[in-house]
Amino acid sequence: MTDNTTRRSPFLSGLFSAIVPGAGQLYNGQRYRATAILVGALVVLGMVVWYGEPFWYISPVIIWLWNIWDAVSLSAGRTRSILAPVLFSLLATYGIGWQVVQINFKSASIERAVQIVRPMLRPDFVTLRTEKNSIWVPVQVPCAPNPPKAENEINGIKAFATPNCASVGETVIVSASGLWPDTETQVWWQTPIGDPKMLGENEAAMLVIKTDSSGSLTTTIRVPSTALAAAPDPTLPFQHRVYFEQFRPIGGFVISSNGRYVLQGMTETLALALMATTLSIFLAIPISFLAARNLMSANPLTFGIYVVVRTILNIVRSIEPLIVAIIFVVIVGLGPFAGVIALAIHSVAALAKLYSEVIEGIDPGPIEAVRATGATWVQTVRYGVVPQIVPPFTAFTIYRWDINVRSSTIIGFVGGGGIGFFLIQWIQINDLRAVSAAFIAIAVVVIVLDTISAKVRERLV
Amino acid sequence: MLRVEHLSKTYPNGTRALTDVSFEVADGEFLVVIGLSGSGKSTLLRCINRLIDPTEGKIFWDNIDITAATPADLRHIRRNIGMVFQQFNLVKRSSVMTNVLSGRLGYANPWLSLLGIWPDEDKKRAIKALERVGIADKAYNRADALSGGQQQRVGIARALMQEPKLILADEPVASLDPVLSHSILQYLEQLNKEGITVICSLHFLDLVHRYATRVIALKDGIKVFEGSAREIDRAKFKEIYGEEAQEVRATAL
Amino acid sequence: MTRNALIIAGLVVVYLASYRVTQIDFVKLISEAPKAQTIVRAFLTPDLFVRDFETTTIRVPFPIPCGSAPEADIVSSGPRLVPSVKCAAEKDKFTLEGFSLAPNADIVVRWHFPDDRVLTAARTQTDDKGHFSVAVDAKPIAKSINGVPSQLEVDTNTAVGGWKASQSLKDVMQEIFVTIFMALLSTSAATIIAAPLSFLAASNITKRGVFGAAVYYVTRSFFNLIRSYDPLVMATVFGFWLGFGTFPGVLALTVVTIASLGKLFSEAVENIDTGPIEALTATGSNRLQTVIYSVIPQIVPDFVSYIIYHWDINVRISTIIGFVGGGGIGFYLSQRINGFEYNKAGTAIWAIVIVVWAMDFLSAEVRKRLT
Ligand SMILES: Nc1ncnc2c1ncn2[C@@H]1O[C@H](COP(=O)(O)OP(=O)(O)O)[C@@H](O)[C@H]1O
Ligand SMILES: [Mg+2]
Repeated sequence: MTDNTTRRSPFLSGLFSAIVPGAGQLYNGQRYRATAILVGALVVLGMVVWYGEPFWYISPVIIWLWNIWDAVSLSAGRTRSILAPVLFSLLATYGIGWQVVQINFKSASIERAVQIVRPMLRPDFVTLRTEKNSIWVPVQVPCAPNPPKAENEINGIKAFATPNCASVGETVIVSASGLWPDTETQVWWQTPIGDPKMLGENEAAMLVIKTDSSGSLTTTIRVPSTALAAAPDPTLPFQHRVYFEQFRPIGGFVISSNGRYVLQGMTETLALALMATTLSIFLAIPISFLAARNLMSANPLTFGIYVVVRTILNIVRSIEPLIVAIIFVVIVGLGPFAGVIALAIHSVAALAKLYSEVIEGIDPGPIEAVRATGATWVQTVRYGVVPQIVPPFTAFTIYRWDINVRSSTIIGFVGGGGIGFFLIQWIQINDLRAVSAAFIAIAVVVIVLDTISAKVRERLV
Repeated sequence: MLRVEHLSKTYPNGTRALTDVSFEVADGEFLVVIGLSGSGKSTLLRCINRLIDPTEGKIFWDNIDITAATPADLRHIRRNIGMVFQQFNLVKRSSVMTNVLSGRLGYANPWLSLLGIWPDEDKKRAIKALERVGIADKAYNRADALSGGQQQRVGIARALMQEPKLILADEPVASLDPVLSHSILQYLEQLNKEGITVICSLHFLDLVHRYATRVIALKDGIKVFEGSAREIDRAKFKEIYGEEAQEVRATAL
Repeated sequence: MTRNALIIAGLVVVYLASYRVTQIDFVKLISEAPKAQTIVRAFLTPDLFVRDFETTTIRVPFPIPCGSAPEADIVSSGPRLVPSVKCAAEKDKFTLEGFSLAPNADIVVRWHFPDDRVLTAARTQTDDKGHFSVAVDAKPIAKSINGVPSQLEVDTNTAVGGWKASQSLKDVMQEIFVTIFMALLSTSAATIIAAPLSFLAASNITKRGVFGAAVYYVTRSFFNLIRSYDPLVMATVFGFWLGFGTFPGVLALTVVTIASLGKLFSEAVENIDTGPIEALTATGSNRLQTVIYSVIPQIVPDFVSYIIYHWDINVRISTIIGFVGGGGIGFYLSQRINGFEYNKAGTAIWAIVIVVWAMDFLSAEVRKRLT
């Protein structure tokens, strides 16, 4: 090192640094180094104290010792490498971070991942087009003195049950004929108010029986234990039904009911992003002029307005639309409108800031040139200002629309409409096939829009 | 001695940049290559240190076949051939010092150099090289903080670090104004006088007259002229550069 | 001409459809706005500091009838009860005033008989200044016994000690730290993975030959696919896989950040100046040396700038990733909102505003220095 600085006392240097990290370095005239050491030491110390695990105190201690040594070395004209303190700061930061966020790779079970991914490989968007064949037979529960005959015939399909009536838990023999031969047939119970009850194992699975080659089937069922759960008086006899249902594909596909929800969700998502972006443009343009420093710093009043507007914009910008949406769900209820307002508010703040930066960056040259031709104020704005701000405004707006499309996929998590509203429910009821359909739809729509907007922006710039 | 035999280069897209070019360069010569833009000058120079692999032909340097060198040999050969570029090709965000030191990479310990550790000897050499081109005071500036002429001098200092026997200069002054052109070429001339062979592509007739010991001219990848600088007169120059080409005087002195 | 007309017609249709789909209703927005009063007011008055309270009982002796016992001394400051008369005959009515009690509190005025039994005399509320005034009957049952008067008494809460951080402020601080660490870890992990991947997605490095082109397109498509998901969407799946908590939140953030950093990095790599690479190759340096001395110095400033930018973004996202079970301050916030504890939610929101603002400022400053 060059020794054009006067040498300082090593003892004092060390002492100062021992009392306040960095002080000895300051004493040796190294202002930048001193600040870095002080700030670094404080941050690491604060972090370690906050976390409270004694082990990590090793880091600030080592940094402190190094800092004394460094100060002493400096007084002898030698600069020490900052590798050690940097390393120990990083060690403490990442070590504590690792523990704080509870990284636990053991919980990442591959088995569970497979369980999740497998249904996702069959997205629930379309189903095979099928036709249905069905018949039902009435069964009285519980028995009245003269139960009606348990038989029924529709379109040549017959079904009957013996006995004609039964109580909860009793066995009934049911048969059907005239169905499609050799076809899996679902057999289930329907209560008088229309509740379906399953008849398979433990009443938790669908009873499925194959018809014989002549299209008949016979099986014994047990009147489900919950058959009378909703009945006002369980001793009153009512007609319940046993249904036989067969499905067979007839070629081709139809959109499934979840597929329809995906379409509805994506339509809402797109509409939501479009309306939010459009609304925000109208609000952001006037606000951006108030937030442009070069226009507002003429006198103290306008400058005050500028400061207030900027501050509000910054606060609004730091609150994610998801949080804003919560408030608007309270006001206007669940649905896309709440999402539109929340996204629009956030976008106004974000766009107004970007727009105002464009205004601040206007080149006065062209304005002067237009004015020099004797143009009026309006003409000057039209030919000197507008051409400068319209392309960047448009580019920023398209960029915002991109962001809003992504955000509008999640605003539904708190009830703000769009695909997120369905997605979160499907996650909650473990309908992974529907989740997968939603994921595919999101990717397709977002990538297509991204590509288009990138093309448009490229042309503008 | 450098000997180029029947050199041809066809780019993968089918462009035929060089066709059957042969010539010799004796040690200590200052050979200038002239020709229109697109005539194949850069291709020729890059074939010599094999930044571009020629399609046909051979290049011998002190009877070593450069075109047949293995990668390890090639690095050894390149170490002895310095190169100076039209666009300087400095790492703009690195310091001047680092840029100059990087000229020494072919000699440096491969592992230490990866960590940015250089022997004191190399650092001294770098300072000396910068002193030679008169910008030692800029050693710790970022390269992009320098003017064009200064950047080209860094480029020369970088080539000097290689202790080259041959310097390839590809239009070293085409991005500079006439006054600076002379100062840069004077450095090359100085090096040439110290025994380093120089092969340099240039555009301006008066620069050719002033610095070249010998000239070859390319037109559409074919060698159309070889001779001493004095043999190139205005008529010859027009013939090479085409009728409508105006001879631009490169000096305002 | 017809083309423009078609475009305009198309736009009109799209806007009309969007307007209907999103159920826009500004009348409702304005007419129902008061509904948000409580929630917004609560957000604006976050629960930050509390004081400990002690319940004290304030009494004033009240002889019935007059002269049956000594009258009370009048106190003129501090929490006190002041009857309009100093004593009364049985069945008289008088007014009792209380001063400097806890403001806006429910007050129960009791008779405290000489034999220590108590009887409620009146109920009322204090105003903003802790004052109340209420009519009281001089009940016969409250007469003095053996020269000992009955007393009128009220309970009031008085603050003891100074202000201190509320539990929710402490919780929020804790969660904010967790949130910052989530952003830090996810950004760091993403950087480590995205930096090498980005070279695969840089056309000037990878796109050579069939194999190279395949690698290039696969990496590119991977980046684009993942980038199309909002981090919260990603977090739903990771939460489903790993159970809810900070870990799936960090993983989801990491994955999304890999994709966006990877894309930005690869663009930085694609924009490098190839001149220095050529120059270093010409000096006879080997490939690794060439990369270290010509590629790295060119890309590091851009990389660092993008990393800081993403760390800023990730702090933002970490504040909400908890809404889908990703941990951090967002989880705390969604819990408080679901429990209608809006003051505590307000604390969290203000903490988010401050931290995000600070990060935004810091990252902008640092990035300005870099270029
Ligand atoms: N990498 C390349 N790929 C294809 N063609 C090239 C490439 N580099 C140069 N060329 C072509 O080769 C010819 C000679 O170029 P060059 O050697 O750069 O000429 P000069 O340096 O004399 O201007 C030109 O027609 C040019 O377009
Ligand atoms: Mg060239």
